[in-house]
Amino acid sequence: MHVRTRTWLSFVVIAGLLFMAGSRFGIFDPLENAVLVAVAPVESALQDATRPVADFVNNLTDINSLTNENRSLREENERLLEQLSQSREVEAENQQLQGLLGVRQSPDDTFVAASVFARDQTNTREAIAIDRGSSDGIREGMIVLTQQGSLIGSVSKVLDNYAWVTLITDVDSAVSAVVQESRAPGVVAGAADGSLEMEFVQETAEVSEGDFVLTSGLGGRYPQGEVIGRVVNVERTAQELFQSVRVEPLADLSRIERVLVLESFTPQEEPPP
Amino acid sequence: MSAVIGVLLIVAATLAQAAVLPEFSIFGVQPNLLIVVLVAWMSVRGKQEALPLIVIAGFLQGLLDSEPLGLAMLALAPLIVMTEVREWKLVESDLLPAILLTVLATWAYEGVMLISLAVTGERVDWLNSLIDVLLPAAIANALLLLPVYGVMRLFRPELRPSPAFGA
Repeated sequence: MHVRTRTWLSFVVIAGLLFMAGSRFGIFDPLENAVLVAVAPVESALQDATRPVADFVNNLTDINSLTNENRSLREENERLLEQLSQSREVEAENQQLQGLLGVRQSPDDTFVAASVFARDQTNTREAIAIDRGSSDGIREGMIVLTQQGSLIGSVSKVLDNYAWVTLITDVDSAVSAVVQESRAPGVVAGAADGSLEMEFVQETAEVSEGDFVLTSGLGGRYPQGEVIGRVVNVERTAQELFQSVRVEPLADLSRIERVLVLESFTPQEEPPP
Repeated sequence: MSAVIGVLLIVAATLAQAAVLPEFSIFGVQPNLLIVVLVAWMSVRGKQEALPLIVIAGFLQGLLDSEPLGLAMLALAPLIVMTEVREWKLVESDLLPAILLTVLATWAYEGVMLISLAVTGERVDWLNSLIDVLLPAAIANALLLLPVYGVMRLFRPELRPSPAFGA
């Protein structure tokens, strides 16, 4: 190897390690924030301009699954409309009963709305950048939902005006969860291919395709009852303690444009290892 | 002048990598335009011009991604060693070595990212990462190299006139 190459390599490795050490202590946060202030509008404009093209290209390559998805969505829509009418009845009845019993309503959740302007550039991470930061009240650990209310992740890095949200599909994400129908507990974790796996579901637990998976609230990092997704595949193997449960997020996490950061829930700190 | 063009290309590629590329998925992974542009530039313009661009690219990407600043520099560092391979000129074509270097650079890049996850105590499923990330990412980047390399050839230095016979 030439001396010049060795010099450049040594320089990059040493600089990289020094930058990483400085980054750990937040030394470069103001610089990163300043750069994001400058480039976020450009990134948003680029994203808006290319999204229709990307949708077109991706739809072309995925036309069969889209047809199937469209059919199942129509069926689901019909079923949900029926359920909606039933739940309106139940809600009205519930409100009447609460009034009679004097039960205190829990305070309404408060949210900070944010736009997604970038995604993490590596294939080993599932994270999005949002245009709200510590100056808007965003704190590390806060949970992030879609506008429709399903869980998409938690805030992992906060700058003054921006924040990074680690998605539930990230390999490092683990959310205590329950299957809504059977109350079977487990942990929803991200897989290397960007999908979700519900782990530690006991072999005897009743889990079926289509069941909803919600946060259980165990551990205190996520509030109870937030929708994570639906079970799309269940595999039981003899002599295995746990079932293999595959979960699909309700939202298409690769196409999120607007999110809600839950401000009113304070996640509990993780205990030291 | 070509250095300025190179830097502008890297800035554009870094922005596109964060804002545009995530919208496109090839074999379930996001192609890495930055690696592809660097390899193509290295093949067309040579080692001298590629070396500073690798450092700039690593620094810029570090500023725009969710990882600690410096990690992208480390992940792109193997490209510095690969500039030597390009100088060997084992075959006439520049494209074939470029494809090979893209595959190697992709594996090195994703490998460093995975190792950093493992070092920081995060769980890494190595086998699934190989199947779901490393292999498809290498193919996606190699495919993306073809049009990028075609564009980069516009920046190829003029061929020197051959010395006259008998000179």
